[in-house]
Amino acid sequence: MGTPVIRFENVGLRYGKGPEVLRDVSFELEQGGFRMLTGASGAGKTSLLRMLFLASRPTRGLINLFGRDIATLPRRDYPTLRRRIGVVFQEFRLIDHLTTFDNVALPLRVTGKSRSAYRGDVMELLKWVGLADHADALQPVLSGGEKQRVAIARAVVGKPDLLLADEPTGNVDPAMGLRLMKLFAELNRFGTTVLIATHDSHLIERTGMPVMQLVEGELRAAA
Amino acid sequence: MSAIAAADTRDTQGRPGAIIPRIQPPLGSLMIAMTVMCYLATLAIGALILVNRTVAGWTSELSSEVTVQVRPLDKRDIKADVARVRDILTATKGIESVDVYDRARSAALLEPWLGKGAMLEDLPIPRLVTVAIDRKAPPDFAALAKKISAAVPAASLDTHRRWQAELTRLAGAFQWLGVAILLLIGAAAVLLVVKTTRAALDANREIVAVLHLVGARDHFIARQVERRFLLTGLRAGLAGTVAGLLTFVVVSLFGGLGAPLDLAQASRGLLFGPPETSRLVYSLVMLVPIIATLISLITARVSVLRILHEIA
Repeated sequence: MGTPVIRFENVGLRYGKGPEVLRDVSFELEQGGFRMLTGASGAGKTSLLRMLFLASRPTRGLINLFGRDIATLPRRDYPTLRRRIGVVFQEFRLIDHLTTFDNVALPLRVTGKSRSAYRGDVMELLKWVGLADHADALQPVLSGGEKQRVAIARAVVGKPDLLLADEPTGNVDPAMGLRLMKLFAELNRFGTTVLIATHDSHLIERTGMPVMQLVEGELRAAA
Repeated sequence: MSAIAAADTRDTQGRPGAIIPRIQPPLGSLMIAMTVMCYLATLAIGALILVNRTVAGWTSELSSEVTVQVRPLDKRDIKADVARVRDILTATKGIESVDVYDRARSAALLEPWLGKGAMLEDLPIPRLVTVAIDRKAPPDFAALAKKISAAVPAASLDTHRRWQAELTRLAGAFQWLGVAILLLIGAAAVLLVVKTTRAALDANREIVAVLHLVGARDHFIARQVERRFLLTGLRAGLAGTVAGLLTFVVVSLFGGLGAPLDLAQASRGLLFGPPETSRLVYSLVMLVPIIATLISLITARVSVLRILHEIA
């Protein structure tokens, strides 16, 4: 058992004065772990992931990320932590006026790396996800599946310590889905901790990885 | 290789795309407003130098000349008094020349008020003696005044000091007014840039959020935004300054509106006058685009950092 990368202790989350969307969520994910997070739409999967990439804070409970309590984490340390995390957003969140290449390279560019330093890595990754021929394409001309692959490439290009993915194969055909899962497994083999939120039961079966299930905001079962 | 792939190879080798889009509607309005401000600043600088030059010319004329007035008194021979004054003046060091106004010239000075005629013949008209001063080594005016009034009780020395002081005060007031106008223009530009920065960040909220999520620091985001403002400030500064200078050129060619101060001549003097004036004009005017760029750049950077801190 490695050091926990993620530790949740009785975490609760509510938006404004609404009902709690997450209640008493407790779990740990050790370094190099691979976990699937499932649950029906609206069960709180995205809300849980949002707290992990520091887009929202819990209303109660404790979240420990890479050994640091995020409640006391100063704002200036957010970028350092976020650079260790790759995120695949359900809605992709790509920058429309940038090319596929520039979108994928963004996490490297913000660290101050020169284009020549990352060009080879980015092009290799684009080949891997089948988008080398679209490196110069702007996002509005890509299909949903292609955008999803761009979003995945952007999340993994920095070889993150933690990969969070929200429905990462929802828009691709089964063959490409399997290929992308292989990419995640490969990253995991080299030490990246992976947490994938999905309600695709076939994908869960195919990966054969441990599953956490969210039911109406509560973590009911962890296999 | 497909056409797309060929284009890819070329573009991925080049410069990375601008993260904040080059075309920002709020920046268009800022560009127009800052161009007008830089235009007004250029006009204000020109006007300021114009007023200063004119007042300096007047004071210089005044300070190179003093006058002695000899009043006609009963039982005194005014001609003898004037001769005595002239002797004292010519014997004094620091005086270049002495010009005595005889009765006819002195009377001529009064004609505009009293008119020609017999009345002037009967009036006791004071005589004037104008004295050109060596400005490099002027005489001791206090001692000279004392010496003249001791020798000729009816004579008094006027050094025009009061007028010089008035003109200097006037020039000072104009200078402060000009500086105040320039400061107001600067303050308005700062406010405008602050507002535009907020509008630009609002328009690019999603991009800023994505940058944060992929680990960008605030300074990186600020650099992306401030580049747009730097170019806007520079372009507006240059456009406003060139328009301001062109205005002076146009006025110098077609002006001369019959105003007391001949604008056309003054504008010509500004642009093509003595080298020291032109140098001052051009160097101050060249500061306009530089300051506009700096205001735009620094204000945008400070505003972006503040806003990013607020929205975090």
